[in-house]
Amino acid sequence: MPRPGFVLEVDDRTPPLLVHEGLGFRLEDFPQGTRVVYPPESLPAVRDVEAAITDALLHPLGSDPLPERLFPGMRLTIAFDDVSLPLPPMRAPDIRQRVIEQVLTLAAEAGVDDVEIIAANALHRRMTTAELRHIVGERVFRSFHPQGKLYNFDAEDRDNLTHLGTTDEGEDIEISKRAAESDLLVYVNVNLVAMDGGHKSVGIGLASYRSLRHHHNPRTMVHSRSFMDHKKSAMHHSAWRIGRVIKEHVAVFQIETTLDNQVFPAPFDFLMKREWEWSLRDQASMLAARRGLALAPAKLRHKIFHDLRAPYGLTGIAAGEVEAVHEQTLERVHRQQLVEVDGASDVLVLGVPFLGPYNVGSSMNPVLATCMGLGYYFNSYRNHPVVRRGGAVILYHPLDEGFNQLHHPSYVDFYEEVLSETTDPVVLSEKYERQFAEDDWYRHLYRTSHAYHGVHPFYMWYWAAHAMDHVGDVVWVGGDRRVAARLGFRAASTLADALEMVSGSVGSSPSITYLHNPPHLVADVRV
Amino acid sequence: MAATGSGPGVAERLAGRHVLLTGVTGFVGEALLRLLLVEVPDVRVSVLVRPKGSTSAAARVATLLGKPVFAPAVEVAGGVEPLLAARVGVVAGDLSDVPALPDDLDAVVHCAGDVSFDPPVDAAFTTNVVGTRDLLARLREAEERGDGRAVHYVHVSTAYVSGRRSGTVPEGPVAHDVDLEAELAWGLAQREELERRSRDADRLEAQRRRAEREHGRAGLLTAAAASEAARRQWVKDELVRVGSERARSLGWTDCYTFTKALGERVVEQHARTHPVSVVRPSIIESALASPHPGWIEGFKMAEPLILAYGRGELPEFPAAADTIVDIVPVDHVVATLVAVLAHPPAAGEPAWFHVSSGHRNPLTFRRLYEHVRAYFDAHPFQAGSRGASPLPDWRFPGASAVERLLTTSERAHRVAESVVGRAPRSDRTRDLARRLEQQKQRLEFLRRYLDLYQEYAQADLRFSDERTTALRLSLSAADQERFAFDTAAVDWRVYVEQIHCPAVTAPIRRLDEIRARRARSTPARAGGLRPVPAAEGAGAPGVAAFFDMDGTLLSSNVVETYLWMRLQELSAGERAGELGRVLGRVPGLLRAERRQRGDFLRAVYRDYEGADRAALDRVADELLTDHVLARLSPEAARRIREHRRAGHRTVLITGAVRPLTRPLAPLFDHVEAVDLVVDDQGRCTGHLVSSPLVGESRAAFMQAWAAEHDVDLTASYAYADSHSDLPLLAAVGNPVAVRPDVPLYRHARRQGWSIVDWASPASAGRSLNPAGGRR
Repeated sequence: MPRPGFVLEVDDRTPPLLVHEGLGFRLEDFPQGTRVVYPPESLPAVRDVEAAITDALLHPLGSDPLPERLFPGMRLTIAFDDVSLPLPPMRAPDIRQRVIEQVLTLAAEAGVDDVEIIAANALHRRMTTAELRHIVGERVFRSFHPQGKLYNFDAEDRDNLTHLGTTDEGEDIEISKRAAESDLLVYVNVNLVAMDGGHKSVGIGLASYRSLRHHHNPRTMVHSRSFMDHKKSAMHHSAWRIGRVIKEHVAVFQIETTLDNQVFPAPFDFLMKREWEWSLRDQASMLAARRGLALAPAKLRHKIFHDLRAPYGLTGIAAGEVEAVHEQTLERVHRQQLVEVDGASDVLVLGVPFLGPYNVGSSMNPVLATCMGLGYYFNSYRNHPVVRRGGAVILYHPLDEGFNQLHHPSYVDFYEEVLSETTDPVVLSEKYERQFAEDDWYRHLYRTSHAYHGVHPFYMWYWAAHAMDHVGDVVWVGGDRRVAARLGFRAASTLADALEMVSGSVGSSPSITYLHNPPHLVADVRV
Repeated sequence: MAATGSGPGVAERLAGRHVLLTGVTGFVGEALLRLLLVEVPDVRVSVLVRPKGSTSAAARVATLLGKPVFAPAVEVAGGVEPLLAARVGVVAGDLSDVPALPDDLDAVVHCAGDVSFDPPVDAAFTTNVVGTRDLLARLREAEERGDGRAVHYVHVSTAYVSGRRSGTVPEGPVAHDVDLEAELAWGLAQREELERRSRDADRLEAQRRRAEREHGRAGLLTAAAASEAARRQWVKDELVRVGSERARSLGWTDCYTFTKALGERVVEQHARTHPVSVVRPSIIESALASPHPGWIEGFKMAEPLILAYGRGELPEFPAAADTIVDIVPVDHVVATLVAVLAHPPAAGEPAWFHVSSGHRNPLTFRRLYEHVRAYFDAHPFQAGSRGASPLPDWRFPGASAVERLLTTSERAHRVAESVVGRAPRSDRTRDLARRLEQQKQRLEFLRRYLDLYQEYAQADLRFSDERTTALRLSLSAADQERFAFDTAAVDWRVYVEQIHCPAVTAPIRRLDEIRARRARSTPARAGGLRPVPAAEGAGAPGVAAFFDMDGTLLSSNVVETYLWMRLQELSAGERAGELGRVLGRVPGLLRAERRQRGDFLRAVYRDYEGADRAALDRVADELLTDHVLARLSPEAARRIREHRRAGHRTVLITGAVRPLTRPLAPLFDHVEAVDLVVDDQGRCTGHLVSSPLVGESRAAFMQAWAAEHDVDLTASYAYADSHSDLPLLAAVGNPVAVRPDVPLYRHARRQGWSIVDWASPASAGRSLNPAGGRR
């Protein structure tokens, strides 16, 4: 039986603890009394994955079994989560491949000819053929890609978008025309964290800027407390309103899968263990990794980390009606990730790792690092943020990876031209968002190259809006000072210095909580 | 106790006299004019001034009188205009064509002359000999027209007319038997002679070969322009060299003193029948007391050396420590001149006067060095943010040791320069080139000044100033104070440390301060370029921005992209073979690249022979998009977009084949690229539809395109990285060198072009699989 997550209180017997920082990690001596939140150990994985998938498709929640919804001459569209999930990428075969293969088998049995498979990448970069192949598998790729039936969604292809109307709050709903006009839309999710899936799948993954701007904005983001709790998230409220309208027009068959916590393969599996339980072998691996990384040039370190493939296990799969399926998924995700934490602290410490949703095979640029730390990790809570209002966040990341010009061209300009003027999410959204979103060059790069949409860096900044609004100080340990200053933050060389720097707002002996993340965890804060 | 004379004072003697001055726009002339106007109230002055451009002679004089040092005289007269009307007559004219002089003159002071030590030989003869002779001729004409009074002619010469003598030099004519007319004819003929010799076929060929080696990649016309510039420079250098050599062969230090001595000979002829005084100052430096201590205009002889020393750039000096450096303050020189004016000699009995300090108050090089050093120790230059520069310790090792040091440095520099010129392009080579360029400037400076001053520094001359002293002692006590010129009274420590050095360093300090302030106030901008100004309104000619592709926008080059395209088409086995074949050809390609970029590109594109055109396009669309965009410099993209936002038209000019430009096409209004010839089966023939656009053909294209689209090239921009793009850059008003190679870098620095460092994206992956290796 796996052990649940728990909160360690650092005392004089606690060894130095592992903190991720970009393409590397460090062992940190935390002040005594620091609370360290560890995620639960991996839940038992489903042994027979194929059978579990079959079972989910044949016994869906709130829906007829999938075979009964398939008929000859129908238009079937299968959409799936793009390369931003899971993190790190899953070791082959990807769970989406297994699901899609079974769906296609059922479709073939039902005599369905008109099938298209769409990567639901919204405003993310187009996936490369190699990435598509990795997710759907060789067989599906070969049967569909050469005919143009397996492709990336293009949110700027005006001819292939359909406006389905507006919600009662005036939110536009514009999604893929093919998806909207299908007799059945099967959406295959990987629900890595609680914010994924539900009505966020179709309504966001297959939507255009015209639709996304209604919930991806500073106002909504500040009122999403947190993203991991859709009932308290303004962003999810909007997605749910949109999803319910979509439901009136499109028949959606939602498939959601949940994964365990096996994010690091050997020999990096020590990264998932509790430090005082490291075996001799783990310690040797740790020392070897540390020494090796210290000597390796940045390019090699990048390759070492970005070539990692996670040996995830499947903890469950549900299919059928969106909300019923999502209910079950959330229960599984929380079982794997939720840790009870008693009360908020003055200081929250987070290690920003090498990978976030938007730098797969790319670099963790300063804007993405901010989004990862203050966006995703800060929001890994339920009920109340882990840090009190006006408290401080201390992040670990060197902020030195630079920008990938192929993937993040608009980020470079956002960093140079927008952040140099203001870091206030509201101000920059009003002044610059439209200009970036409608820029022809970015549009061209998004559509023909592998670039994130022009507006994407703004969304990254909005993700962090709640944290920026909630906390007083933000300090990056080990971060490049000039970069941190451009982002509107400060940098410190050590944790002790960082604590010294924030002592003005939280005092000289603040309460500290460190989220030992990844593997993913969500702090259920009781106040 | 100093003796004093009796009789009428200087002012009294000069009252009512009419004096013509030449050279009042120069340092000595200006000081003299000022002294006459301020201290000799009843003298009338005429000035011979050359109109300059559209500025008339009178306007130049008015500007001159507007300077603060003339304030006392202007105040008395009630303004510049009244002063001009009452006391200063303007004679517009030039020494090369002396106009008629006023016929009521009492005296003429000729202080115009070429003061540079290394003038072109023809110019030296024209000003110092011909000018003097013509002036004297006009003077005699004026005398005849007037009432027959003899006009007192005061000739300002230099103490160094004595040439390469040593020991005491008396105040009298220089003994020599040079044939004045022969030398004059020779000197004046030199320009024509050298112009003719410079067109000698062998010399032209050597220059052209060197220029083509250096600039051939940019095109033959560029090389031709460089070759012609080299010829002109040769003429210029030779004019100086033949002058100096002739002077030295006759016993003078340089062409300046040589022609000055010949000028004196002209004056001596005049002196047989007319009253003449010759005043020979030694090295004239800033004023001791009047108009104010340290007053100086422009840089004279010692200043460049003092400044270079203060910057730590003058490691040694080729003088013996105990050699006398003969310096006189300018106010002593002009006071002597006024006293001389007041005491005209009889006709046929010319008087010589030395204004010098070495005889009675010698200042040795060691003491001068110690005072200058003491000054800079106390008041170092605070240039830049790195504090004071270290001051070299001079040990006066003798001229030959200094010469050896300099020669070795020059040789080492030439070797380094040639190595850097051939080194592969990188930030490091560019930085090296920049430092070498700085060092070159320093070495050239040292070479020029050491060559010039060596003669003076080694001349162990003592200029006797007995007659000047006698003249001084004949003045009344009041005049001795008012027109002070006792050089023995100068306290060199006070003069050098407290008067001269502060005066000559002040403008540099001000400049440093302005620079520092500007550096602080200029916000750091990406790439260091000024923002693009918005285009003019409708009707005005348009502005365009021309961009080179390889190396400027992208961090790749043609060979690399070519390999990419070829390799994608081939199977794994073929790939290895192709790679080997191309690697084998690299040396040849590089040679072609050095020689002529067009040949190089043709050689590369010949390899497309047999390639399927449609396949090439497909490969370009599928894979090169990433390849190109991953290498696109973000600053470049931002700059292009900035131009478009400003309403400028953007043009891509490249020698690459058109498929390679497809990913960038949306950024440009026009893409000028190479098209491949395709046969009827859709296969490339390896030939091009037209010549690749390189070197000068780019400039020609730009001109044609600009004319067609009503674009003003002088307001337009161009961005390129390589020496072969020189014509492209030179064609516009705002050229920008982007991460330039060393030859372009050198050129850009000399021309003052913008140089930017658009970093190529660091994370651009080189792997052939954009998704990265997968386990």
